[in-house]
Amino acid sequence: MKVWKTLTVFLLALILALPLAACSSSKSSGDSKGIVTLKFWDFHTDAEKKFFQDLVKEYNASHPNVKIEMASFNQSDYTTTKLPVAFANNEGPDIFMVSPGGFTKFAQSGILADLNPYFKDGVKEDFLPSALDAVTYNGKVLALPFEMELLGLYYNKQMLKDANVEVPKTWEELQEAAKKLTTDQHAGIVLPTDKEPYLNFLWYPFLWQQGGDVISKDGKKATFDTPEVAKALDFWGSFFQKGYAPSKLQIGPTDIGNLGTGKTAMQICGTWAIPVLENKYKNVDVGLAPLPIPDGGKPATDAGGWKLAVNAKSKHVKEAADFVMWAFGSDKSRPLKWATEVKFAYPARKSVVEEGKSVYDKGLRKIFTEEIYDTAIPEPRYNPEIVDAIGESLQKVMFSDAKGSQVAKETNEKIQAALNK
Amino acid sequence: MRQRWLLTVFVIFCGILMVLPIYFLFVSAFKEPNDVFRLSINFSHLTLDNFKAVLETNILRAIWNSFFVSSVVTIVALLFHSMSGYALARLNFPGKNFIFGWMISTLMVPFTVIMIPLYMVTKNFGMANSYLGLIVPMIFNAYGIFLFRQFYNEFPKELEEAAYMEGLSIAGTFFRIVLPLSKPMIIPLTIGFFTANWNNYLWPLIINQKEDLWVVQVALANIVGGGYETSWSIVLAAALLCALPTFALFFLVQRHLVEGVKMTGIK
Amino acid sequence: MFKKKNRLKRKEALTAYGFVLPNFIGLTIFVFVPMVYAFYVSLHQWNALSPKVFVGFDNYVQMAKDKEWWHSVYNTFIFTIIYVPLLFGLSLFFAVLIHQLKSRYESLARTLFLLPFAITSVISATIWMFLYDPRNGFINQVLKFFGGHSQQFLGSTNQALISIIVVIIWINLGYNMMIFLASIKEIPTDYYEAARIDGATGWKAFRFITFPLLRGTSIFILVVTTIGSFQVFDQIMVMTKGGPANATEVSVLYIYKQAFEFLNMGYASALAVVLFIIIFVLSLTQLKLYTRKD
Repeated sequence: MKVWKTLTVFLLALILALPLAACSSSKSSGDSKGIVTLKFWDFHTDAEKKFFQDLVKEYNASHPNVKIEMASFNQSDYTTTKLPVAFANNEGPDIFMVSPGGFTKFAQSGILADLNPYFKDGVKEDFLPSALDAVTYNGKVLALPFEMELLGLYYNKQMLKDANVEVPKTWEELQEAAKKLTTDQHAGIVLPTDKEPYLNFLWYPFLWQQGGDVISKDGKKATFDTPEVAKALDFWGSFFQKGYAPSKLQIGPTDIGNLGTGKTAMQICGTWAIPVLENKYKNVDVGLAPLPIPDGGKPATDAGGWKLAVNAKSKHVKEAADFVMWAFGSDKSRPLKWATEVKFAYPARKSVVEEGKSVYDKGLRKIFTEEIYDTAIPEPRYNPEIVDAIGESLQKVMFSDAKGSQVAKETNEKIQAALNK
Repeated sequence: MRQRWLLTVFVIFCGILMVLPIYFLFVSAFKEPNDVFRLSINFSHLTLDNFKAVLETNILRAIWNSFFVSSVVTIVALLFHSMSGYALARLNFPGKNFIFGWMISTLMVPFTVIMIPLYMVTKNFGMANSYLGLIVPMIFNAYGIFLFRQFYNEFPKELEEAAYMEGLSIAGTFFRIVLPLSKPMIIPLTIGFFTANWNNYLWPLIINQKEDLWVVQVALANIVGGGYETSWSIVLAAALLCALPTFALFFLVQRHLVEGVKMTGIK
Repeated sequence: MFKKKNRLKRKEALTAYGFVLPNFIGLTIFVFVPMVYAFYVSLHQWNALSPKVFVGFDNYVQMAKDKEWWHSVYNTFIFTIIYVPLLFGLSLFFAVLIHQLKSRYESLARTLFLLPFAITSVISATIWMFLYDPRNGFINQVLKFFGGHSQQFLGSTNQALISIIVVIIWINLGYNMMIFLASIKEIPTDYYEAARIDGATGWKAFRFITFPLLRGTSIFILVVTTIGSFQVFDQIMVMTKGGPANATEVSVLYIYKQAFEFLNMGYASALAVVLFIIIFVLSLTQLKLYTRKD
């Protein structure tokens, strides 16, 4: 009986607390007295999140008729569940981020607003052509790029010296190096293992270096059933089949900590790793080299990066677009700060690259700037079925005994079917 | 007697094996970032920094939110489900089997598919972005109904018959006699509901925007980030912190799981 | 006499409806209505962002030809066939054993087994990924110590599914065991006394007293665990995302992929409807099979 008494009291207390709790969140997100409220949803963390928070604060202060509310969510659920569910219910944010992997899925549905009318004079021309191409769909600019993240081969100088291995420049050398560097203490090389856009992102350069591509230039025909693709698939898969790359990672593949904590001798990773190496792993002597190329191939690497977009169904497209343009399409200081201080990446605008010249010569950045930058090809923005098909083909050559040529053929059909839709 | 001693050793050994992974969680929360995924414990390198970092986030608010939501859901659910389970087990009414079958079938729907329409329904009731949105949809779950029905099926009839003889109504009998004696079922279900709601992730993620409405799993996912680097030592410290309330609940509640009804009730 | 009986019957029915009402309303609004909506969506092509396009049963026709879907159904069945009997058997086994212990040790054992249940899915997945690490995870270290070889576990198409099953069992064992325990405690000790006089102890006591009297609970655990095993999602998503090479892609994962990665809501809803039917038929069969006379 006593138990029940306490339970009832507890329940009553909680029920009484309900209206108090409900009150605290009853502030509706409407517009009051001519102030336009915009919702900005983001996924960044730590210093990157703070950058955007500061941006929002500054904008709110200098634009009294606009109030931007920022909310942060976990990255992996951001594009898959959070955004689509909100959009499906017309509760989506006015401003949000898109990645190349998710761009087409949003573009096709018409949820991205055309930013063309909002460019200030001369700014559109300032953007690197490849960066703008990546966000242009049917002639409309559907997002604003603000970073280009390149891939390179990071390596532990000491481990290479101990194993008497030279920095690999060709595919053969990379395989030999990975073989020699695989010991009980550390893996030879760390590559992504799970099927996700990042897996594809790291593989594309090996296809492009041979001059191959997934689909034709006009985007109508699948070109996956080629010897170049088969060769790139087999090459990639060999690292896993032979055990030079771990089949499962504890620390994510984007985290340079794999190299920094001594778990591996080499890791293909991006520009974002440099600040992490400089802050967290100062004691590890890390080197950087361009991605190795096959015989007769041309150097190539991948350039990814997120973009800022405006909800086409927002009630305040103009105000939202103004913010986006203010953030990265006007004053050079902001995109520069992002690309050089907050993280390391290349800006999408020529003038900003010029501004930051001094930064791009520091430490490992110099190698990116001098040896890698010119070979970068922007990450493609295939529709999700194609991204998935490519991912599956990679998984097959990594974990089953399927041959690259056979997998390429099967996947080609899937890609063509997706293109025909 | 020696047999029982051997049995005890065996069972406790298995129990320790079960808890081993949690031991890793516990220890890792005190390790320095670089040591987290190493097996060795460097005792000179243990630190409380992870917890300090965690407390700088809004994790405490999230823990309070989860506690509030899980408690309310559990208590209301226990009430509703015990009533339904009792009716389905003991009382006769037309459509009884159909209603039972219909309720069970609601367990078979994968959440991902009703996620969007559920959001719409919740929004239409004005419960989006509020505690109500976190609580109300989660109360109704056929699992509890099924279990209560099962329990009441085997409940000794003598007690109710005695109550009817005393002139108690059906409802009176239930609330005054049967429910208080339902401890053996209420305890596992308290643990079940509370934990299920405590660990709920997808629904709180999509129904709420405001950070001060975050629940534990959402806050945890945010600490994980999934970006370019994850500070696992901080994440694990946060995870440990978030598991403490449920651990406490387990300790407190399952102590009461002692004797069956048939033994206590008839006395 | 007749009237009084009818009145009593009606009163009983009314009380019953009153008792059932809150859940009935709640389940209708928050589960049934969304279910119906999902079925409605399954007759359309919809990407959540633009208007729906009616396509009739096209999605269902497409599903019949979808190899990946049927592969996911196969994976789900394998998962269920291994997971359910194992969980059932182990929960019952430990419930019976723990019941024999002195209450102090029983309490300790119960708590130890229950603790994994408290860990959130992301964290339990992370801890086990650490234990399963193919290069130097704890389990491989133990294996090597006893002279075995390192296994790939989550990195192997053969071992990944079983590895995940182990984790799910680890999480749910204590809780299901507790439910069995609660039911075992309902069995009057006189039954065992009487049996002992007749010379039936240990295994015989279990077989002829304990197990038959656990019938109802057993059915409950079987049905509920089966339904639950079709819905395991969080841990698989974190640990393998359905890989390697779709070895752990169960149906709910494939539905999620179609719904949220491809934004094929219509198709995903159709798949979910079919999955629902499969689970429904399976549960019905189980109930019919095991509830014979009662």
